[in-house]
Amino acid sequence: MNDSLRRTLLSPFFWLAFLAIAALPFVLQSYYLHIVILALIYVALASAWNIVGGIAGQISLAHSLFVGMGAMVASALFLKLGINLWLAALIAAALSALMGAIIAFLDWRFRLGHLSFALVTLAFAEMGEIVVVGWDFLGGASGLFLPRDTGQFLQFQFGGGEGVLWAMLVLAAACILVNVAILGSPLGYYLRSIRDNEQAAQAIGVRLLRNKMLAMMISAVLTSLVGTVYVRYLTFADPYLLVSPVITIEIVLFATVGGLGRAGGPALGALLLVPLGEVLRGKLGGVLPGLHYFIYGLIVILVIRLSPAGLLPLLERAIARLRRKQPSPQIIANPTARP
Amino acid sequence: MPLLEVEGITKRFGGLVAVNAVSFAVEPGEILGIIGPNGAGKTTLFGLISGFIRPDAGNVRFDGQRINGIAPERLVRRGLARSFQIVQTFADMSALDVVTTAALVKRPLAEAVAHAAEVLRRVGLSGKEHLTPASLSLQDKKLLEVAKCVATDARLILLDEVMAGLTLAETEAPLAVIRELNRQGVTFIMVEHVMPVIMRAATRLVVINFGEKIAEGTPETIVRDQNVIDAYFGEALDA
Repeated sequence: MNDSLRRTLLSPFFWLAFLAIAALPFVLQSYYLHIVILALIYVALASAWNIVGGIAGQISLAHSLFVGMGAMVASALFLKLGINLWLAALIAAALSALMGAIIAFLDWRFRLGHLSFALVTLAFAEMGEIVVVGWDFLGGASGLFLPRDTGQFLQFQFGGGEGVLWAMLVLAAACILVNVAILGSPLGYYLRSIRDNEQAAQAIGVRLLRNKMLAMMISAVLTSLVGTVYVRYLTFADPYLLVSPVITIEIVLFATVGGLGRAGGPALGALLLVPLGEVLRGKLGGVLPGLHYFIYGLIVILVIRLSPAGLLPLLERAIARLRRKQPSPQIIANPTARP
Repeated sequence: MPLLEVEGITKRFGGLVAVNAVSFAVEPGEILGIIGPNGAGKTTLFGLISGFIRPDAGNVRFDGQRINGIAPERLVRRGLARSFQIVQTFADMSALDVVTTAALVKRPLAEAVAHAAEVLRRVGLSGKEHLTPASLSLQDKKLLEVAKCVATDARLILLDEVMAGLTLAETEAPLAVIRELNRQGVTFIMVEHVMPVIMRAATRLVVINFGEKIAEGTPETIVRDQNVIDAYFGEALDA
């Protein structure tokens, strides 16, 4: 275990936040509970994506494939072949890792630049949706229905609302902790150097293929597991929701707004934007069609204008200023060296 | 046995022969200077040796083993590191982080951080560990390029114009570092434009022009070599 991970696990702030969210089912009505679960799903997805898109700087638009793998393939294995959903989730995660490894290999083999990488991964995502919609085994266009969640833990059931919230909370925390662990390990240094300058990274001995593959596989496994919990929560495996590239766009948006490459950035983005989107839709959705999107978009633009590096650096600067009561020029952006 | 042997190495870019059948050897403990006019093929030669460019013909041997076609990151692990002429910056990493990454080649993280700090101190970048490379002065950027190579524990370091753009006074610091490391057993190959610097630093010189080796020898003999004089100043009309 590395220092950064140990420090986070010993941090009272981390556990306070964890317990506070865990206690929410006791105070919230089910509608708000739903928003919290959705937020946690995206906290986990954005944090898992951050390993590749943030820390390693490879803007992957293929992550809907991994969500879809965890959701559709695991559901199909369970419904069509009778495989226990826990095992099915693990099989789907392994397949996601394999697919991630293939994508990373192609990226390395053909030396894709950042933009080409984004476009190629988007093409993969589009193909994935077409395959799922056209393949009856995976439910085709009409999707798959999982049996009602009656809380049988051994059947990957969490008993609806609060159970899913706790399961998702554990998974989301795990995704954040994996980010912390990577940033505090040699892999974190390798990935950050790859993000900043691949050729210069090679020149100081960083193995591109190995590290890109590792990042993609870790990210794919986590994303796939979130996909399975997501579909268990929804009960209905809808390919147009779960294998849609739109889901990736949301992930990228939350991660960027929160702060790319930082362990807590994407989580912060998702925690703020998911409830904001839901509340705006709830309050304004009926007033004027599209008004909530308009306001949502306006807020996102404002945030990005205000702090292009994301909300987390902005928040940290504000806290530092409060502490010292004077503006503090933060020269470097080094995730491991910050207090 | 020479530490590095380059044997008839050739690289063509389309119709242009950038490096043509160049051969030379570097003994352990040497500081070999490679000089030549603009576009002579010096940087391509570095790319060929360090694994960034694949040769069309010829061989490169490091430590007696053929290394053609081996990826640069693997050569670094074997002890052959290079710097870049155009300083390669890392936008979001501090100088210490960058050098730590290089140091990870040979040691675990905690030791790598300590080693990186030590290397930065040795090249004269103490107190600048937490700045990003982009915010360093040109001279410090060049020192950082050297530090990156040194931190990998390389036995052979290829420096591509680390003195370019520096005033003669500014070259003192990097030069002292190179000499000190050389005393400790590190072998260097330097490509350089700044003649007074290379004349003082190198124990031996290889001169290339239009991709071909035209002379080789000690700095004293090279400055008197007619081929070299012609290459730099043009041939006399009656020659």
